[in-house]
Amino acid sequence: MKAMHVASLLAALVAAPLAADEQHTERRNFVACPIVRDTASVPCWLAEYDGELYFLTLQTDVSSPVTPPWLGHRVLVEGTALRERARICGGVVLEPVVLSVLPELDAACNTDVLPAEDRYNLTFEPPRPPGPSAGRLAFAGAAAPPPPAEPPRGFTLRYDFDGLIVFRHAGELTSILDAAHARKARSVAITGHRGSVLLSDGATLVEKPAMARRRAEQLADLLRGAGLVDVDYRVRWEDEAGAADGDDDAALRRVTVELDP
Amino acid sequence: MLVRLATRFAVAASAVGLATGALAGNWWAPGDGRPLPSEASYANATGAVGILNTAGTIDTAASPFFQPLGKNGRACVTCHQPADGMALSAATVRERWEETNGQDPLFAAVDGRNCPNLPASDPAAHSLLLTRGLIRVALPWPPRDAAGAPLPVEFSLEVVRDPTGCNTSRVYGLGSPQPTVSVYRRPRPVANTKYLTHSNFGVGPFIAKSGLPAVRDPDTGLPTSMNMMADARATTLKVQAADAARTHLEVREPLAPDTMRALVAFEEQIYSAQTRDDAAGDLTRDAPGLGPRNLAAEPAGVLGNNTTRWVFPLGDTWRQPQGGTETEREARAAIARGHDVFMFRTFFIRDSMHLNSVGLGNPVKRTCSTCHGMHMTGMDVANGWMDIGTTNLPWAREAPLNPWTKETPQLPLFKVTCNADIAPHPFLGRVIYTQDPGRALVSGKCNDVGAIVMQQFRGLAARPPYFSNGSAATLRELVDFYDRRYSIGYSEQEKHDLVAFLGAL
Repeated sequence: MKAMHVASLLAALVAAPLAADEQHTERRNFVACPIVRDTASVPCWLAEYDGELYFLTLQTDVSSPVTPPWLGHRVLVEGTALRERARICGGVVLEPVVLSVLPELDAACNTDVLPAEDRYNLTFEPPRPPGPSAGRLAFAGAAAPPPPAEPPRGFTLRYDFDGLIVFRHAGELTSILDAAHARKARSVAITGHRGSVLLSDGATLVEKPAMARRRAEQLADLLRGAGLVDVDYRVRWEDEAGAADGDDDAALRRVTVELDP
Repeated sequence: MLVRLATRFAVAASAVGLATGALAGNWWAPGDGRPLPSEASYANATGAVGILNTAGTIDTAASPFFQPLGKNGRACVTCHQPADGMALSAATVRERWEETNGQDPLFAAVDGRNCPNLPASDPAAHSLLLTRGLIRVALPWPPRDAAGAPLPVEFSLEVVRDPTGCNTSRVYGLGSPQPTVSVYRRPRPVANTKYLTHSNFGVGPFIAKSGLPAVRDPDTGLPTSMNMMADARATTLKVQAADAARTHLEVREPLAPDTMRALVAFEEQIYSAQTRDDAAGDLTRDAPGLGPRNLAAEPAGVLGNNTTRWVFPLGDTWRQPQGGTETEREARAAIARGHDVFMFRTFFIRDSMHLNSVGLGNPVKRTCSTCHGMHMTGMDVANGWMDIGTTNLPWAREAPLNPWTKETPQLPLFKVTCNADIAPHPFLGRVIYTQDPGRALVSGKCNDVGAIVMQQFRGLAARPPYFSNGSAATLRELVDFYDRRYSIGYSEQEKHDLVAFLGAL
């Protein structure tokens, strides 16, 4: 593979679906124990499915749009396989890919770190070295949109499978809070959803029945806890799990927020 | 009794190579009245710690920090001694016991004993303070919000072991009329506080590691860094002072506004760091990151885990020191090598809540400075509680139980069972055994069990033992803990150098 630099590769993993359309692509939705392989720089994260090894992501930092899974837990992988793309760490590249660490511990997923091998070393500079950075986050400013003319009214938060708010939501929550203050919002409509996932083996994973309610109620609680108290909260949820088609099922796991005005 | 106690602790101290505490002349008793000079230096086991007061010489007779404020005769300075880097070493505690026959206000019943109902004159009643420098911290159970209302809790709490008797006491324990949990923690330094209270990088309305709302300053309404106390229960100097006055000094009325202003002002102007190493000489020479003056000058709340702004800048001359004796040159080179171990030596960090759970993966291949990344202090820049296993089993230090040892457990042990309707703790599951549930005693969150706010790395040589529960008697034991915990495989040279580096901060 021709040497690539930094964010271009990993950013492409999530930001270039059109490129994927031009290649031989296959959806790959599956649950597996993650595999971590060391390299001369940062570790690679991989997973096996149906006799094939897939590359999930690299270790980077908290700014990465795709963050690595956890040993000790299974991971739900929802991605598109690009077989014509050069393999990374021996795995077929999934692009784009969404990873959900499943909440329950799984003792079967505790294989040790595979050692570095020359044949699997990266042929490009990773976005972030394993030690100190060059003074910035790996993906800081990579795709910063211009500030909107006026604070947005609507927001959509996506969730891990069977998951609630985690670290990566802090920025989105701040945006909602800022917009509510800026717009002098009088009401906040919050709608929780839960999803399902059509796996590549034909099975369907469905989120727990309470997830839609818990997501909606938690979001309201967090906004209240951050001081957004003088508004009318309209909190609702959809009991039925969104129907999966195996394409972008991750979008079903969401909460929408509408500010008024 | 006193002779036996002194002998016992002298032997214990000798066995683990403990430093001596603040020399008798360096002890600041409440109401002492001596002026505190703008710059002072106090000898410790490996050199000297420097105290810088940016407001100049302090008339301690007029400073509430140095005056007894409550009924037990303590002042803030009782547990925040200049000679101990504005904290308190266990060696100093033992010296106070011997000098005062246990009568010093430091040994007050409320938290200077393992439990208030134990006999005052028995050193065993103060064993945790005498051996590990631990103060009893009594917290309401369930936790309460700022208005005093109980918070929802995601787990049940059982007392499995109670060597102090306090958690099972009908008066002071979980089953008492005012259910209370007693945990035992080291006093933290009251110095370099601008780094503890910054509102710079990583501080926002929502905690960057969890997405939960950050605690706000009740005066300004702004989010706080929550990096001051082991459990982040008080997040501003003012709130902490009020809490400490009520609980540790037994002040019955709220502090007067003038008193509060004076306390906060003093705490904002004090800086502390090691300034001299017996082997390496003057630590502040050619080292922009060492010594209290540099701490006062540098910006707070910025990332140092990068190659453009180091956590602890040393300067290039430290790698190939010139001048001085050969011993001094080697000692300075060892400190520089230790710095490089801290910054660049990678290892796999695993199963550590609020580190592996925040987008880095489990495990993550990083360095010490990944977590200890704040420029000049080595604290976390963002809200910094984390579980590395200092209080949670299986990693916390426990007495080996077998028929051939007389060592018995010193700390309580709790069984935490996370509720069935929440996700289990990501790395410890639904049942967790812990000596101190840490942040979870304040947040009520299963994921916070055993999570402790990491503290600053300055003046370490002046204030052993280390970790919130005093489980590392020396810096070497601290390094050994990390080596075991993360299977790092440090060489002896790396351990030696890392200890030299940490001792120079």
